[in-house]
Amino acid sequence: MTESGASLESLRALRLHRRREALKTALIHGALILACAACVYPLLRILAVSLRPGDRIISTDLALIPQGATWASYVKVFTETNFLFWLWNSLVITVATSVAGVALASTAAYAFSRFKFPGAKLGLSLLLGTQMLPAGMLLLPLFLMIMRLRLMNTYLGMVIAYSVSSLPFSIWILKGYYDTIPRSLEEAALVDGTSVFGAFYRIVLPLSTPALAIAFLFNFTQAWNEYLVARVILTDSFKYTWTLGLFDLQGQYLTQWGMFAAASLLVTIPVMGVFLYSSKWLLTGMTLGGVKG
Amino acid sequence: MASVTFKNVTKKFGLNEVLHDVSLQIADQEFLVLVGPSGCGKSTLLRMLAGLEETTEGEIHIGDRLVNHLPPRSREIAMVFQDYALYPHMTVAENMSFGLRLKGIDLGEIDRRVLKAANILHIEPLLRRTPRQLSGGQRQRVAIGRAIVREPKVFLFDEPLSNLDAKLREEMRIEIAKLHQKLATTIIYVTHDQVEAMTLASRIAVVNAGQIQQVGAPTEVFGRPENVFVAGFIGSPTMNFIEGELARAGGGLRFKTAGVDVPVMGGPAGGPPSSLDRSGTPAVLGVRPEAIHIDRGDAPADGAVPAEVEVVELLGYRKNVHLKVGAAGAKVLASVGAAEGSEPGEKVSLRFDPAGLHLFEKATGRRIR
Repeated sequence: MTESGASLESLRALRLHRRREALKTALIHGALILACAACVYPLLRILAVSLRPGDRIISTDLALIPQGATWASYVKVFTETNFLFWLWNSLVITVATSVAGVALASTAAYAFSRFKFPGAKLGLSLLLGTQMLPAGMLLLPLFLMIMRLRLMNTYLGMVIAYSVSSLPFSIWILKGYYDTIPRSLEEAALVDGTSVFGAFYRIVLPLSTPALAIAFLFNFTQAWNEYLVARVILTDSFKYTWTLGLFDLQGQYLTQWGMFAAASLLVTIPVMGVFLYSSKWLLTGMTLGGVKG
Repeated sequence: MASVTFKNVTKKFGLNEVLHDVSLQIADQEFLVLVGPSGCGKSTLLRMLAGLEETTEGEIHIGDRLVNHLPPRSREIAMVFQDYALYPHMTVAENMSFGLRLKGIDLGEIDRRVLKAANILHIEPLLRRTPRQLSGGQRQRVAIGRAIVREPKVFLFDEPLSNLDAKLREEMRIEIAKLHQKLATTIIYVTHDQVEAMTLASRIAVVNAGQIQQVGAPTEVFGRPENVFVAGFIGSPTMNFIEGELARAGGGLRFKTAGVDVPVMGGPAGGPPSSLDRSGTPAVLGVRPEAIHIDRGDAPADGAVPAEVEVVELLGYRKNVHLKVGAAGAKVLASVGAAEGSEPGEKVSLRFDPAGLHLFEKATGRRIR
């Protein structure tokens, strides 16, 4: 074959390869768009229900903004229910849980990552094991524990119940991250004049913001959306979190779907805010450049 | 500034003893290089001095102070790590001043010391950068700067140049030598590179298998190695070893093996009368590659060793000639001038310069005096 023949052949192959790549990209994007639509569709339906006059959940209308759209359901959520109470309770419990959970997990994970002690391996495996138990199984022991501590209907009781159940996951995430931080950084800090805790606090923690952010977000969303444990521990309606409150809007004979939908949308705002804010902390690669490379 | 003393120091990791009864005295303002192969325990010894590893047995003194149970921060040392260990979330200036800020030193004084160190190491333009914005050589300078600003009694360097390329390594080696002259502080430097050891040290301690093999000035360790290990480790290219036996002949002592018969008495390798007593003992003859002369076609003189050229490597200004010697075909390397014209396959005879000959007991590897 001549040289020009060979190059023509390769040009054709290149064109074919390009076309295949373009098709692949189009398919991937198509699948992603479908997945996004599947995620967004329920939200849009709830928005439509919340804006619909009356308490109709079923409608043949597919319009995003229904005919005669009104904010009445939103107004009623604030004026006719204890929604603000529920929101406040949820917020206090969630923030406290997240802070306590991250504080406990960050130090526990450091111990698992850096120190040799009897039972370290077993402890880690047990922590992982608790994650395999269904949440319902832990309900009774948690209830008994909180009751014996006389912490029923208290914020503290809820914070303890929530933070202990999120701890194993947070510890695993953080331990994995700490393991990637070179020990020589802490050794340099020890020589520079810190204590062991100082090296952890001044060097390891600031470098672990991506993992801390993930642990915080996990704790936050878990506590914010939790229903089952709250149902067991909180009986006083003034101590209700929004999940319990919202459930109360569902009556046996009549459910106020408009208010239900409006409240559902309102409670997503804090979570979205926290996600957007913490996304900047999720950037990885902070340790790059500190050591050889 | 201070002296450092290791007294019968032992280190065990679990049941595994990695340092055996090490004793070493390092004088004030001395530049001591601990050199040895990977895993010999040299870094462990340094880390024990820094307080990063516990001492299993024995005593470590910095100056007059026993430091065994002091945390690293109380030992008044500074350490430069192999991987630099710069804090990634701090700027160069913050990295350098970290230790001083912890001590609560006045901010003006901190700035003065940081600028002075930056000036010595030529890193003033980098002070506001973070470690990831620096090259390997710049990071190493910052790591050294961080050690300097603390004005410690003892500087510890743990293989600081091993991550740099050859050219940069040479530059930094000179910088470190200058630094020692300027700061006049005790420096303990760990390396596996015997060239670094030879060029930097006021004294070298050669470590192998958890024991110190020899301590001495570079010329002494190179010129009078105490055992086969030191002889083989120090010097580049490495020393040639030929196994044989000592024999008395005509009032002198000769080293003999199949095809090799070399007079060894009288040179620095051995002298009467003690060497004469050793007639008949199995021995190892060490010959530095630079101490081998190649004679082509000349009539063999006394002590000449017949050999065959296998490979010739031209290094520019020198040539490495790989030879097969004696009936057993022992491999010998000669380092000769680039003008030397021997060809692969050629039969030649070798003359050994008496100053480059060393004799060791075969059984113990110890030098025969």
